[in-house]
Amino acid sequence: MNEESRIKQDRFMQRIADRLGRPRLTEKPPHPHKGAPPDWRRFSLDREERIALFSENWQKAGGHVVRVPDLEAAKTYIAQKAKELGAYAIIRQNQPELNALDWQQALPEAEIVVWHSEQQKDLLRYAAGADIGITMAEYGIAYTGSLVCTSSGNQGRSVSLLPAVVMAILPAERIATRMGEVLAHFDGRPRAQFPAGIHFISGPSRSADIENDLTIGVHGPGVVFALIVG
Amino acid sequence: MRSAEPRTVQERARQALSDEFLRNAVKFTTERLRAGKQTASQEHGNWEEWRERARQIRLHTIAHLDYYLQEFVENARANGVQVHFADTAEEAAALTMDIAKQCGARSVVKSKSMVSEELHINQALQAGGVEAVETDLGEYIIQLANEPPSHIIIPAIHKNRYQIAELLSKEAGEELPPDTTALAGFVRRKLREKFLEADIGMTGCNFAIAESGSIVLFENEGNARMVTTVPRTQITLMGMERIIPTWDDLEVMATLLPRSATGQKLTVYMSGISGPRRAEDRDGPEQMHLIIVDNGRSLQLGDPHFQELLNCIRCGACLNACPVYRHIGGHAYGSTYSGPIGAVLKPALNKNVAEWDDIANASSLCGACYEACPVKIPLHDMLVYLRQRKVEQGVQSGEEKAGMKGFRYVMSSHKRYGRALRWGRVMQKLLLRDGVIKARIGPLKGWNQHRHTSPLPNKSFREGWQALERDIQRERTEMDEQIRERLHRHLNEREKGGVGDE
Ligand code: SF4
Repeated sequence: MNEESRIKQDRFMQRIADRLGRPRLTEKPPHPHKGAPPDWRRFSLDREERIALFSENWQKAGGHVVRVPDLEAAKTYIAQKAKELGAYAIIRQNQPELNALDWQQALPEAEIVVWHSEQQKDLLRYAAGADIGITMAEYGIAYTGSLVCTSSGNQGRSVSLLPAVVMAILPAERIATRMGEVLAHFDGRPRAQFPAGIHFISGPSRSADIENDLTIGVHGPGVVFALIVG
Repeated sequence: MRSAEPRTVQERARQALSDEFLRNAVKFTTERLRAGKQTASQEHGNWEEWRERARQIRLHTIAHLDYYLQEFVENARANGVQVHFADTAEEAAALTMDIAKQCGARSVVKSKSMVSEELHINQALQAGGVEAVETDLGEYIIQLANEPPSHIIIPAIHKNRYQIAELLSKEAGEELPPDTTALAGFVRRKLREKFLEADIGMTGCNFAIAESGSIVLFENEGNARMVTTVPRTQITLMGMERIIPTWDDLEVMATLLPRSATGQKLTVYMSGISGPRRAEDRDGPEQMHLIIVDNGRSLQLGDPHFQELLNCIRCGACLNACPVYRHIGGHAYGSTYSGPIGAVLKPALNKNVAEWDDIANASSLCGACYEACPVKIPLHDMLVYLRQRKVEQGVQSGEEKAGMKGFRYVMSSHKRYGRALRWGRVMQKLLLRDGVIKARIGPLKGWNQHRHTSPLPNKSFREGWQALERDIQRERTEMDEQIRERLHRHLNEREKGGVGDE
């Protein structure tokens, strides 16, 4: 199949060049209009404004925002919410910030499974039945009210997707003003460090497909918390 | 599958009601989306500058498509993606079947993709004994009803919740209440099983980023994420023009697409997928296939009047802006892509101007689609060119030729244009040629090979059409001054430069 595909590829590209009425391009063309308009790149909010705008957008989309002074307080808040919701099955990412917290002591009654490469459990199925997923967000974007999570052996895509409730911890200094600032982290990143999944999340899963009536939690989580630390 | 004419009075009454519902629903939804877009574009500010930026990026990419597509493909391969090329819809379907056979697949879960509609992939899979499940809530509903989508963004726009409850109750084997939350809850549970069972996840592709070989998906429900997270094998179908050069460029598209489609700042999920799962990953597909589809697209390349069609980002804004679409809904267009973009794309993809029909003609004189388009595709001009091509190829009736001459006359005076916008000529013709419309609204040409739709009763359509005429009269009596000037310029240029499209 591969060789066939290569031959096909050549024909495909040649046809495009033919239709465009010129020989095939092999040099990278200059791209003078790359990215957002220049003025926009100068748009930058200060820290408090970024937190405020992120929070406003996240809430407008139907998410919850809690601001906490430190990671310990984030853990306490999550534990308290988990008890309130009667959560039993919890899944969390294997991230250093989360590993530094004593979850077992905060939630003695719950089962907390950690997502990592060596985990014995069928992680996907466990996540699909989990009440709460806990993750650190890599970045936040104030202007669109988004969190960014990436995948790896220690960070399942499922953790922010399959549980009914997702709790995402977002350190305040990771909130950018514009999306472009976050995209710059991926522009030109070497392949070996490139995650297979990059997910921008801007609120709870939703649909207006039935009579324009907004429904929350269609396939993804219906309840999403952003815990802003700092 | 509903193909018979309604028989009893009750059935007819219900059908008539649902037709009224259809008209109201389309109107309501498109109004909601249009208003959302307006607010979102105003709120963002400098909308024109962004539109121009997006247009430049798309123009640049398409003008260098062989380079960027090649770059994308090489990077995707390096990421571990198996890349395939399909010249035609049939070839794409055959490739899909080959992959399904290779992995012994029994079921495929799909997230919404216009390309897969265009290629009739579901039919191919089903014929091969593979279950294909649409997982987008609206798509799932119309799949159960065995009907085509009627709107790019809201495919089940034409169904009310009583009809939906009826459909889903059959699936559930129990009576479900016509309550949105309950219905969506049922679908969540039902489809979750399907996700976990499925062998293959199938997606479309909103954008493909050349510099890293990534595909980008926009969605609100999370089903596209499910499809790319849970099954072992992923197949992504992609139109060959979906490319953007860099991640940096994605900011422009991500700003314009959701705002233009639904008025959202960003869809709930925007996912960049760069190859199958890494060796140490515990979710995501183990195998990822990408099928790059031409299916008539390269015909638009190098065509001075239609190349810009390839810039389309499938946002649906032109549908919501189009007074004709707002009143009749998508099914009347008789193709995968409806509204103004569908009216141009369909004959362009097929290179068959005879397909060009009256309903599409009716959308040719107001310019609202161009105004709405985030990448500034001159749809309106294209509609005019298509008409002209048809005249040149002698497809048109004498009456329509007169109409073409009339276009210049109409354009030359503001006031006359206002009068023409009352649609008298076109509408009357449509009313007279009732049979034609019925044929299109009923088992749809092009669609009836693949799907079955329920015919609308004549009478209610006629009434609906009269209402449409009245509404349009009320809505748009004057053309935007700028559009009028632009069209005038184009017209003069064309006259100076002679015709000759091919
Ligand atoms: S033609 Fe323009 S407005 Fe219509 S769907 Fe395409 S991008 Fe959107």
